[in-house]
Amino acid sequence: MLDPHPTSFLSQRRLENGKDAMVPIKPESPLNLPTQKLSLGCPVLDRLVRGGLPVGSVTELAGESGTGKSQICLQLLLAALRPPSLGGLSAASLYIHSEFPFPLRRLRRLLTPFAPSSVVPTPLDHIFVRPAHSPDDLLSLLTAVDALLARPPSALPVRLLVVDSIAALFRSEFDNTPADLKRRSSLFFKIAAKLKEQARRFEAVVVVTNQVVDVVGGSESYGSSGNAIRVGNYGSLWSSGRRVCPALGLSWANCINTRIFLSRSDDIVRNERALVDEESDDRVHGTVVRTRRKMEMVFAPHLPEASCEFVIVSEGVFGVEAQRA
Amino acid sequence: MEIANLPISPSHRAKLLSAGYTTFSSLSAVSPSQLARDLNIALQEASDILKVVSDITRSESLHGGNAILKGAQTAWDMLSEEQMQKRITTGCDDLDTILGGGIHCKEVTEVGGVPGIGKTQLGIQLAVNVQIPVEYGGLGGKAVYIDTEGSFMVERAYQVAEGCIMDTLDKFGHHRKVILDCQEQMQPNSFLANIFYFRICSYTEQIAVINYLQKFLAEQKDVKIIIIDSVTFHFRQDFDDLALRTRVLCGMSLKLMELTKTYNLAVVLLNQVTTKFTEGSFQLTLALGDSWSHACTNRVILYWNGNERHAYIDKSPSLRSASAPFSVTSKGIRNATSQCKRVRMM
Repeated sequence: MLDPHPTSFLSQRRLENGKDAMVPIKPESPLNLPTQKLSLGCPVLDRLVRGGLPVGSVTELAGESGTGKSQICLQLLLAALRPPSLGGLSAASLYIHSEFPFPLRRLRRLLTPFAPSSVVPTPLDHIFVRPAHSPDDLLSLLTAVDALLARPPSALPVRLLVVDSIAALFRSEFDNTPADLKRRSSLFFKIAAKLKEQARRFEAVVVVTNQVVDVVGGSESYGSSGNAIRVGNYGSLWSSGRRVCPALGLSWANCINTRIFLSRSDDIVRNERALVDEESDDRVHGTVVRTRRKMEMVFAPHLPEASCEFVIVSEGVFGVEAQRA
Repeated sequence: MEIANLPISPSHRAKLLSAGYTTFSSLSAVSPSQLARDLNIALQEASDILKVVSDITRSESLHGGNAILKGAQTAWDMLSEEQMQKRITTGCDDLDTILGGGIHCKEVTEVGGVPGIGKTQLGIQLAVNVQIPVEYGGLGGKAVYIDTEGSFMVERAYQVAEGCIMDTLDKFGHHRKVILDCQEQMQPNSFLANIFYFRICSYTEQIAVINYLQKFLAEQKDVKIIIIDSVTFHFRQDFDDLALRTRVLCGMSLKLMELTKTYNLAVVLLNQVTTKFTEGSFQLTLALGDSWSHACTNRVILYWNGNERHAYIDKSPSLRSASAPFSVTSKGIRNATSQCKRVRMM
């Protein structure tokens, strides 16, 4: 059989005894596969994902702006530094961002409640930040990252890789022609293959954030036009009262292992006391706008359909147990 | 005439010729009792004649001198062999039904669908179900799982193994002796240990592993299923040379078909879907379909029908086009819970 690289007959790259090496091909037993997870930093959210985000796997957080994607990523950067006994990885992280500027202030605000008694005195020393401006940028960055992962600059190994966001990288460069869509799709697979390879070789957690687009036309049936092909546990996803779906289409959906959808909806909650509306001088019943946030499992190889409400406060993102009315 | 050269007694030779048996091939499908009736001789004598004939045809085919092709089987032999083949159950009765009892050994089955529909779930379920001991109606085999995407989660495989063991023991609850015999095998960790797992990160590694399997399977005779999850992921990147990609895919598919026949096992290829612009609209189609479509014996598509998961037979030389509902539960693939009519012929 035709094989362009004869040496690959004999070996593949794998992490053996903590070192990246070329080893002869042989099967592994599932009992020896890594099963570590990175906690989301909140026990309620961790219950949703059965412990945390798995190593060796690519997890996507999809949602519209302001739903908490970057916030959760920042929380993960700090969670990674904690020891495994506290749900962390005792590891440094790499944060690749395509939206500017990097939210340093928000990260600093999260540091204050960060337990000083934990292993690292200077957490920011173990968080590496790199910008990416285009898909090719990201690809060359990921190739350079191989070196970073093999020889980490700080004392801790790098075991969390965040790309925030993948969608922003593909916004401007591609038209809607079949040729461009095909080119774009090839890049998805190239990037995803690289991310998955690194996740596997370095037993790292990879998190990618994605935006959403409005769902147009079509129905949910098989092969219909429009972008409403059903992917995952929900026939439709809603945020801010609009029907949406994660960006980058079916191709990108094939590239990730787990998809988590974050949404928000602004509920008008009636208040008992009537308040005077100052501007129009009408007597209106008091109304309060409450932002409800929800996290839903769209698909995952190890998790059932489930959802959870959460809040974003200055200390971070926390899940809310379902209230009994 | 070949019969004239048989080293048997002249009277037997004469009887064969007058009964109409003039060539060796005419004797290849006849049973001893039938020959005894035709020639009006004792059963033992008829068996002896047939044995002499088969010895000669075997040695002649080794020297390439016979009309019967080496390795050829009659269609009748193939049919009886196929009917005796055990199928690998999917865990869902309706799905098994449209598959003709389950996944067939000696065949390549492609299973495609959108992300989240249950391809990996089915892959893991089959890797577990192939191990159901013979005493419980299974194949008692082992599995090779080639993971190209990192979707195989050990905790999920453990859950599925646990569910399979629980349901199997439930079904056979009253056969106490069988339970005691298989106790050691019927543990989730034993099931996990019988899955030979390969994680590959590039298309060259994928080719390398499939080549390696030839040697591996010669040593591990118990393997009865190979699952590749998913088969096209690493081929969907840009290939500078598309002709190379087609050659590689063809070579791979030929090799896999060869493995099924040589080692009498099943190959299940999980595949992704993409949209193709045909006849003015976007249709869902299996990835790399054009270069790949001839490579599999059977093709099954998993899809959403409202809120229910369904499977349909898209292509098969022997199975009818039909669809069936199934569900993914904490125990694995099981029957759908809806009450409506189950298997639909298309």
